[in-house]
Amino acid sequence: MSERTAGSETSGTPEPPDKGDFMGIVPEPVVGPFRRSWAWFDDRTGVTGLLHKGLYEAVPRQGGWAYTLGSATLVIIIVQFFTGIFLLLDYVPSVTQAYTSLEYLRADDVFGDWIRGIHLWGAYTLMLVIGLHALRTFISASYKKPRELNWISGVMLFFLVLAMAITGAMLPWDQAAYWTTTVVTNIPHYLPVIGNGVRILWRGGNFVGQVTLTRTFALHVWVLPAILVALIGAHLYLLRRHGEFGSWVNYRTTTDNPAQEIAERARRAEPPYPTRGSEAIYSVPSETVDFFPDQLFKDTLVSGVLVVFIFVMGLISGAPLDGPANAATLTYVPTPEWFYLPLDQLLVFFPTALIGFGVFVVVGIGATLMLALPFIDRNPDRHPVHRPDVLIPAFFLIFTVIYLAMLGVNRLYNL
Amino acid sequence: MQPLILALNPTSVPGTVLTNTVMVGCVALLHVLFATFLIGSCTLVALSEGISMVTHDERHERLARGLVHAWGYIFSTGAAIAVFFVIFVLVGVWGRFFVTFQQFTFWVWFFEGLTFIGEIALLYTLYACWERLRGYRLARLGLVILLNIDQWFQMFFIDVIASQMLTPTVQGATDNTSYLLQFLNPTNLPLTVHRTIGNVAWAGAIVALTAAFQYLRVTRRQEATALVPGRREPVRALGAMPEGELVRERNREAAYWDWAGQWGMLFAFGLTIVQIWVGYSYAKEIQLHSLDSWYQMMYGWISNIFLGQFAGLGLIFILGVAYFWRRLKAAGQHAVARRQQIALILLILLFLFGIQPAWLAGSYPDIVAAHLAKPFWDGGLEDPFGFFFPWKVMVLIADMLIALYALWSYVRARVRTPMTMGQATRGSQRLLIGMAVVVGLMMLIMGIIRESSRSPYLVNQNITISHQVILQQPAPNIPLSQRPIGP
Amino acid sequence: MSMGRISRRQFMVRGTGAMAGLITAMLSVPAVGFLLSPLWAANKEIWVTVQGGPIDDIPEGLPTARIAAVPVGGGPPAPPVNRVVYVTKYRGQLYAFSNICTHMQCDVHWEPSLSLFECPCHGGLYAITGRNVGGPPPQPLPQWVHRVHVDAQGKHHLQIANRLQEQI
Repeated sequence: MSERTAGSETSGTPEPPDKGDFMGIVPEPVVGPFRRSWAWFDDRTGVTGLLHKGLYEAVPRQGGWAYTLGSATLVIIIVQFFTGIFLLLDYVPSVTQAYTSLEYLRADDVFGDWIRGIHLWGAYTLMLVIGLHALRTFISASYKKPRELNWISGVMLFFLVLAMAITGAMLPWDQAAYWTTTVVTNIPHYLPVIGNGVRILWRGGNFVGQVTLTRTFALHVWVLPAILVALIGAHLYLLRRHGEFGSWVNYRTTTDNPAQEIAERARRAEPPYPTRGSEAIYSVPSETVDFFPDQLFKDTLVSGVLVVFIFVMGLISGAPLDGPANAATLTYVPTPEWFYLPLDQLLVFFPTALIGFGVFVVVGIGATLMLALPFIDRNPDRHPVHRPDVLIPAFFLIFTVIYLAMLGVNRLYNL
Repeated sequence: MQPLILALNPTSVPGTVLTNTVMVGCVALLHVLFATFLIGSCTLVALSEGISMVTHDERHERLARGLVHAWGYIFSTGAAIAVFFVIFVLVGVWGRFFVTFQQFTFWVWFFEGLTFIGEIALLYTLYACWERLRGYRLARLGLVILLNIDQWFQMFFIDVIASQMLTPTVQGATDNTSYLLQFLNPTNLPLTVHRTIGNVAWAGAIVALTAAFQYLRVTRRQEATALVPGRREPVRALGAMPEGELVRERNREAAYWDWAGQWGMLFAFGLTIVQIWVGYSYAKEIQLHSLDSWYQMMYGWISNIFLGQFAGLGLIFILGVAYFWRRLKAAGQHAVARRQQIALILLILLFLFGIQPAWLAGSYPDIVAAHLAKPFWDGGLEDPFGFFFPWKVMVLIADMLIALYALWSYVRARVRTPMTMGQATRGSQRLLIGMAVVVGLMMLIMGIIRESSRSPYLVNQNITISHQVILQQPAPNIPLSQRPIGP
Repeated sequence: MSMGRISRRQFMVRGTGAMAGLITAMLSVPAVGFLLSPLWAANKEIWVTVQGGPIDDIPEGLPTARIAAVPVGGGPPAPPVNRVVYVTKYRGQLYAFSNICTHMQCDVHWEPSLSLFECPCHGGLYAITGRNVGGPPPQPLPQWVHRVHVDAQGKHHLQIANRLQEQI
């Protein structure tokens, strides 16, 4: 909007009412057929205005590369949706046909194996990127007022993505999928009171069977994606409402009179700044640029690199398919995916009487702390050096998760 | 596994199994205290220097400088001990072990030695040139980080050796086992992580110890100087500072040492919280891959020493939280201090509950043999509440959570309300000294437990200690099914 | 409350709320019922014979893995699933262990070098009598509900039902 000017050339003559002046945009004289059809479409939908609002939003200038992680997460989720749809065109959620339908996909469909590989590597990369995105948001204190709900919706998205990953892994009905299903559907029975009921509901009985596969399929393909899309919409809306948050480096004042400098910035601020509800010093970044093309360039570059990585790895490494599901095996060692190794290793450490405690209380405490973070840390200061009271427990949590994963690898290597 | 018996003429080595083991033990433990401090303090130097570059707080830089200056004499002494240890003790007294073991871990030893050269170059450079590199702080920090990496690899290679002794993955002297398999032997990872963290904790404890001593020295009441007959003022030494300046200097020093003690203590205390569960994971790996050693540690006579270790952990937390309590109280933050006090009381109660032994005898097999493996209220010698699982495990978890809360609460109080440094009570400094001493003792005891639980083997199921002195068959391997296996 | 006049607006607001509540209730009843139905489903007990012939020649003290094609109840008709039955004779007792670990339901196998059942997932250990002796498992190794059928030649055949003796 900085490029368009409103109004007429002479101050005396009023604008004729039907000139079509919308949001200060003076329509150019339409010439070719493309422009005419676009103008027709735009008159009826108002798309150009929306696009402008979306593309030309002000975003902080410094630290742009770190902010690409959020859009990278979104792009990878979209890749997963697309490849998921393609897989859906072939996959049959039946205990007898799931495996054979995937074998058919691999062998007979053109690029079938590649698409399955992209779906798997997309999931792996998504785990990594979403973790980095959460870490970045944590370090830059982007969960503080007024962005608490952004953080909470983000944490819920993280849990949903984990749930998507695990339900997806249960679908191929090869050995890995069958035993993953057995173990994962067994975990809820450690919940007090309702545990056994939840297990029966999910499995459709006491043992893993056809109903288990159908229900897991429904979760993975409809229920969880629906909630995911809704939460992503809310997450993006909140982001746009409060403005893309810069880290403390974006809010540095350089003059001797910071209050005046901040007031000056607020006066010149473009929407969505100044952020309503935050402290004065954090309401307007010192320098902003337009989202398009500056930030969008960085976003596209990073997302592009990740997508290329996913496509290449999907092609060379593909997605494995073990032997068909066999409950009567004596030799198969059920192994979780790498991002579930921490939880699996936790199961090793909490035996017999403490299983429920380890699985639910410990994980529950971790999840609750993640969700409640904005309410625990209400100190307005954003610089990490001034926030050791959150960084220290976070260090413990992150160290624990990584060390558990390493221990899992160590244990599985030495079986 | 086949025992590795050398087809050499068994020449006799001076001393007996007992004296040689004690000698090796003493030299090794001494070496450990120096080496771990050097590695841990390097990490602290990097952290402190980095923080001082960002926040321009000169206390961090002073601490880094102090540690680097200490390296000069600590490393030279430690290196002498290490060289003496290797040449005269390892090669001299345990020569057969050393020669045989080196055959299949040669390159590990080689690269560990190489890192020693790197350490000499970097450490002495930093020691000599710290002040001169004042204008190139980033480069100076880079050198510290390089030294840190070099020292970490030194520790890593030694951990490969140590874990190979406990859970060997090599089948014999002629086995062509790959180095990857050696590195990934089951106890290497937990041991490496345990030592990486423990190094920094120990360095933090030493910083706290030194700072506490210095604080006590600086705040010592000046002795009354004698009144010379005929004069009304006390005699002052020539060159002494005027009264006001002396007080200001003393306050500056007190403020610095108070801060330094706190800084070191945060690492010692905070990292000990993590060490509990890293140590638990280490014990779990030992249980899974070397049941004999684990059994000796948890059920044999060494379990008594292990109980002492458990008590030491509890003591570290008690002394640490007591320090938090006293320090906050001295700073006038009574509400937070009250919460620390409650945490302290809980920790003391947990400690008292946790140190009860599970059997009132030397070891568990003793009471099993005497048919007394039942609770003492049933006429036996067992105390069911003393068992590690689940009681002591729950005590440890509770300890960790309470200590983490205390740490978080203290750090939050420090961040929210500026605390004037130099106001610590002398008692709180004595608590720091006590904590640091307990940390050191824990390390020594851990070393003793480690080595003793493997006996009579030097390399499990392979080389024995007695074989070093006279040629002897290794001890028989008692089958697993005859041991009660616990979680 | 006086039954006074309510305005049009109030009537419409309350009416919408009431009708929406009615619709929700109507939709919920079958939905909730459908979701919770497996909790009350009665599983028909089906007996199958363990494959591999008679169990007379299975030696004492050596758990032997046999296969049984067990129809796991619940859901639309599906082919029966092959499951392991560890036929064990020990001190005069016959056990028909499943190989389902009571920790996370991984596949347990008999490890001759330890003389114990071992679970590879988290290192769970069970004795030959099924008692959980090591690692995380909280309960002993479960047995199938089983019975022995003697045929005309006097050979014993083991039959198992499609459920375990105890809930794990």
